[in-house]
Amino acid sequence: MDLLNTFLIGITAGTIYALMAISMVLVWRSTRVVNFAQAGMALLSTYFGYEAVSRLGSFWIALPVAMIGGALVAALVEIILIRLLVKHSSSGPIAGVAPIIATLGLLGVIRSISAMIWGGQDLRIVGPISNDGFTINGTTLVFSPLKLLILVTVLVLMLILSIVFQKTNIGLALRASAYAPEIARLSGIKVDWVRTLGWALAGAAGAVAGMFQTVNGNGTLSPDSIEFSLLLVSGFIAAVIGGLDSLIGAVIGGLVLGLMIAFVLMYVSSGLFFIAPFVILLTVLFIRPQGIFGAKAARRA
Amino acid sequence: MKAMNRRKLIKVSAVLAAVSLAVTAVPAQAAVGVSSREIKLGMTLPMTGTASLGYNKIPGAAKAYFDYLNKNGGINGRKVKLIVKDDRYVPTEAVAKTNELILKDKVMALLAPLGTANVKAVAASVNPARRGVPVLFINTGFSGFAEKKKYPTTYTVLPSYVMEAKIMGEYIKDNFAGKKIGLLYQDDDFGTDALAGFKTAGVNFAVKVAYASGSQGAAAAAGWITKFKAAEADVVILFGVSSATSAMLGVAAQLKYAPQWMLGSVGGDATTIKLTGVPAGVLYNAIGFSPVPATTDMKDEYVKFFSDIYAKAVPGSTFDLNVLLGMNTAFMTAQALQAAGRNPTRKSLMAAIDSKGASFANSALVPAGYSKTSHVGLTGYWVGKYSPTGDLSPIGGTYVTYTTDSGSGAVVKSTYVRPAMPAKGLPN
Amino acid sequence: MHKKQSRDIFLFILGGVVLFFLSGMVDELRVYQGATIAIYVIAISSIILLTGYSGQVSLGHGALMAVGAYAAAVTRIEFKLPIILCFVVAVLLAAIGGALLGAAAARLSGPYLAGTTLALAIGLPSLANQFTVLGGEQGLLFDVGFPPLSLGEEFTQYKWFFWIAGLAALISMWIIKNILGSRYGRTWRAIRGNEVAAQLSGINIARSKILAFTISAGIAGLAGALLSMTIGTVSPSAFPLALSFSLLAGAVLSGLTTLGGAMIGAVVLVAIPEIADVVAHRVGSSERVTTNLPGFLVSALLILTVLFVPNGPVEQHRARKAKHLALKK
Repeated sequence: MDLLNTFLIGITAGTIYALMAISMVLVWRSTRVVNFAQAGMALLSTYFGYEAVSRLGSFWIALPVAMIGGALVAALVEIILIRLLVKHSSSGPIAGVAPIIATLGLLGVIRSISAMIWGGQDLRIVGPISNDGFTINGTTLVFSPLKLLILVTVLVLMLILSIVFQKTNIGLALRASAYAPEIARLSGIKVDWVRTLGWALAGAAGAVAGMFQTVNGNGTLSPDSIEFSLLLVSGFIAAVIGGLDSLIGAVIGGLVLGLMIAFVLMYVSSGLFFIAPFVILLTVLFIRPQGIFGAKAARRA
Repeated sequence: MKAMNRRKLIKVSAVLAAVSLAVTAVPAQAAVGVSSREIKLGMTLPMTGTASLGYNKIPGAAKAYFDYLNKNGGINGRKVKLIVKDDRYVPTEAVAKTNELILKDKVMALLAPLGTANVKAVAASVNPARRGVPVLFINTGFSGFAEKKKYPTTYTVLPSYVMEAKIMGEYIKDNFAGKKIGLLYQDDDFGTDALAGFKTAGVNFAVKVAYASGSQGAAAAAGWITKFKAAEADVVILFGVSSATSAMLGVAAQLKYAPQWMLGSVGGDATTIKLTGVPAGVLYNAIGFSPVPATTDMKDEYVKFFSDIYAKAVPGSTFDLNVLLGMNTAFMTAQALQAAGRNPTRKSLMAAIDSKGASFANSALVPAGYSKTSHVGLTGYWVGKYSPTGDLSPIGGTYVTYTTDSGSGAVVKSTYVRPAMPAKGLPN
Repeated sequence: MHKKQSRDIFLFILGGVVLFFLSGMVDELRVYQGATIAIYVIAISSIILLTGYSGQVSLGHGALMAVGAYAAAVTRIEFKLPIILCFVVAVLLAAIGGALLGAAAARLSGPYLAGTTLALAIGLPSLANQFTVLGGEQGLLFDVGFPPLSLGEEFTQYKWFFWIAGLAALISMWIIKNILGSRYGRTWRAIRGNEVAAQLSGINIARSKILAFTISAGIAGLAGALLSMTIGTVSPSAFPLALSFSLLAGAVLSGLTTLGGAMIGAVVLVAIPEIADVVAHRVGSSERVTTNLPGFLVSALLILTVLFVPNGPVEQHRARKAKHLALKK
């Protein structure tokens, strides 16, 4: 029973990390930027979702509102910030650091603006369905209809994104724009807009992660909540474990991270909570320096 | 080319140095922080960051009382001004901001700094004791800060974690003898203090679960419950911060896990817990501890008075335990300033607390231990149960209070009679 | 070459003399902030060496600072060594930590390295709660002792900190400058410029990268020990992720390839929050705004710097001047 519960705890946490990791991968694939503001953008979208829920009263309307809001914010960020960034600081020693600093700055800007508008205190979003655990043979599991919904949603989202990426021209254009922008441009792809699209998709995925992280937690929303700082770090680490380039890698990375942390907490020591991701990451990267599903050669598009 | 640049750099440095020099010291005054019109106090605490939740209401609460006081004549005609700085719960920041408060803003005293590591760093680096700066009513229950020799200008107010654990232990012995007891505690000094108290009280735990500060979330809580279930604990004590308590109770509701809960005061504020979406029913019949009256007890003259002022000053914000404690601290500070004489100084302020602090009117239902030889604040708790609506209220309708110390002293029922609230809630 | 070096020595001594007189002229708060600036100068230059010269990104220098800080404090408490030796231990232990991290880092590129160091920055300080000798959440006292009596009665503790930190900063800058000018510095720049070409010309890439990490970590360890000196304690919460981020930000503000610019980044890191505080209270109407405005201003400044002065103010100025001269000709 313990084992099953720990497994379920890990899977549920892992799916949300995976969603966050997916949005980081989308950004990385389209612009080669690690977006530290992703959790901030997810937070802002969740606030949009909160406004929608409190006005319209339905989570199912609020979710698309948050996704559209997230997509718009992300697209705007790409157009205003990232294009300038690519223009001004894509060469020299700054090139490796500039996106990190810029997106960290963006995270700070979003956090402070959210706190100015909505205040530093808890607001609540009620989940769409019950978060009470399923009961089997008289024992209640830590797995609930809501968690099942999250799991299914992540899988569906991933499936859709995979199809978009592998089977359509959009996917091809996205990949081409990231790996070989000059060649892509020559072959008639509007590289800039394709990149914006990549960001918008990431923004929408992040919004879903934010909404679910909120209702799966205790339903409270605040610019400084622990749930969101966990989201930022875990999403990135999960993406790195998975290999940054691969959607399936992001999902595996998220699940590995979620499961490993759950097992460490359960069977080793809570004191290792923060050091566990480091050890997991180091172990994975020791075996495969480019992550589980990362492309060995950067040029393999 | 290179040499030119270096010269530039030196020039830049010189300009920067000149800027620093331009800020000169304020001429010395008779009493630091006290002018003919104003008394300046300073506060550092986390206003942003993950540690700020709940605590960031304290400055607003204290200011609400001081504003009320200032509108009603202040302290002998002087207005109390509270300068608040955000330390983000980082000791480095706390030291830097406290230095600003003492050296630049020239406050008379520091009020209610928060966090054990921060208070310790400030004591070591800024050294308020050597500067003669009072550090009033600190927001930490770590028992070490009441040591007068080590921290001669520091005054605690919250009962220590050791006291709380001892009183909990006493309650367990009287009511849950022979039951299996489980404990959730924070894996740092907060928890170490608690463990020491439970040890003194002679409590044996069937299971102890530690959590690392910052790891408490829904996922972690599900793991805790699995452990408590495995050990078949009848009574589960939650000796953690609010976010840990709410995560635990929220997940317990989902899992239909319902042992006899016992909530420590740090994370036991019903308003905060309910705000995070924990159904009130989960709290029903849980045992709780608090030094001050229930925040919903509008029959209590202090609670009524404070919540009325707060509602006007910060409309829309819930009156919770942090707010009550913040306003209570401001109220005690006002009395200390009033008792410090017509022209208060840092010394006379501390002397006033030493001689009269134990009899300051305040909302707490337990005695304070201030004296010439002790800087110990409140010394006990009342025990209550949470109602079906999730509010902590005294068992049987009357507050039964216990007092003890942070050492090996016994836990005794208190006979303390709280002073009535002064007219209009102003110091007299 | 000799002439240049003796001129450098002269300049560094001059810098020391200026700092010495400065510390006697400003009030105690500015002296304290001066000490903080000196420490940031050291920490930022460790990033400049690593990122600007060897091309490796670290989001975990706060953790390496923690290693140095704990090493110094434990040495001081357990073995009661003189303070200078405590600092030496801090540098050595942090350097060992850096070498280990560097060995892992040498195989990793860009974002993978960033992720690993980020995870380290979050994980390492929390370990202090696992070992009682490290003092738990409230931390250990770290007391460097009172200033020598020969300096006079009026000599404050903060002035003493400032002297120690200032001297340490001058010495570290001197050492880093020499390392960067040496064969190693040229090797790093070659690798940063073109890894494949560097490898072809016989440079052992992994070893060079590990060396850069080791030296950088040692310097960061010194900064960590000094930082805990100024706050009198070492505790996990003094080394949050935000510290690692702000060091990187400071390095960008300084200009990643201008060692001398470290001063600018350090001053900005110390001064901006205070300035933002003043602005917030002038402008701010509600508490929500005044509380969050400083954070907003600092973040916005970061974005603007990366976008418009990506190579740092000194480099920018140099580039503009060069362009100007070229046009004149």
